[in-house]
Amino acid sequence: MKLGVFVSHLRFNTDTYERLKAERLGVIFVQNGIYHATLRENGKTSPLLEKSANFYALKDDLETHGFTDSNVDSRVKVITYNDLVDVIFNEYEKLVWL
Amino acid sequence: MAVKKLAFIVDKPPYKTETSRLALTHALSSQSVEIYLKDGDNVEPFLAFIGDGVLNCIKNQKALTMYGVTSLDMHIRNALLFGLNVYVCKEDIRKFGLTEDMIVMDADHPDGELKTQIISYAEIQKAMETCDHILFF
Amino acid sequence: MGKLTIGTFSSLIGSMSLDFALRLAEAAINKGHKVDFWVSGNATMLSKKAQRAYRDYSFLEKKVEELIEKGVYFTACEACSEARGYHKEDTMEGWKRHNMDWYLASCFDSDRVLHIGGE
Repeated sequence: MKLGVFVSHLRFNTDTYERLKAERLGVIFVQNGIYHATLRENGKTSPLLEKSANFYALKDDLETHGFTDSNVDSRVKVITYNDLVDVIFNEYEKLVWL
Repeated sequence: MAVKKLAFIVDKPPYKTETSRLALTHALSSQSVEIYLKDGDNVEPFLAFIGDGVLNCIKNQKALTMYGVTSLDMHIRNALLFGLNVYVCKEDIRKFGLTEDMIVMDADHPDGELKTQIISYAEIQKAMETCDHILFF
Repeated sequence: MGKLTIGTFSSLIGSMSLDFALRLAEAAINKGHKVDFWVSGNATMLSKKAQRAYRDYSFLEKKVEELIEKGVYFTACEACSEARGYHKEDTMEGWKRHNMDWYLASCFDSDRVLHIGGE
């Protein structure tokens, strides 16, 4: 399946996240989830970025939290709400909000 | 004539928030969804409890006595009575040291034929792959 | 063009998930997609009229009105609303109120379903 997973928290039980598999997997960082795309904790990037997936971060939420595109990990694509609609309809069939 | 499968996946424990209760009540509302659909069309939900969500399945919850709200185990019994498939993740049951006799396995009703199915996460994943939409609670 | 169903249970103002969901609905309807917006649980607060626009508080009533004009179909869970003391007369113009089976029916013919389960 082609699965889009929305991550909206910085801290959450990642068991479900770790277990989700898909032939095409997208991880979309929104709200506090954008910290996974921008922060290093104790010098390390978020372990969520180790998953084999396409990563996206919502621009509005990046800027809300004080970040710009330049703060974003190179593995993550910055997208707008308009882009997000296209991602939802064109790239993934099922959506999950964690 | 079409049947759409909806996966109701519960990965949070009960009571502090209402999310798992809403998962059950939404899934159970499939009993009357036909009024909105064309003849022959229907929705087929299944419930899967994974991670901390398996804690919803523990028997003998006293929520009704304590707080006046229907307990999650009662909702799960209703789901089984109304013919909804209920899957519980085997690995997560074991992780919490739960056994089959500690969780809701049947509707506890003469008309209830379905049993809770304790299956592996891999099987739950497969069920998610074959459904039309996934709703995480 | 397709159909998107968004279902959310998050609180008005207490969580920004509703703000997100409305912006997503707006982007989708502006692109020509059909959008159904279901609120249950605490999200039924969104259907309440006479919200006040204070500076530090999300004010979503106006956005909802705009989206209703654009054709987003807003429906609130009647049971969840009534349990919280929101009656028909408290509900914004343009909102429908139904049982939870309405949400499942919306999912039936949707191309994409985004269920935002809680806070």
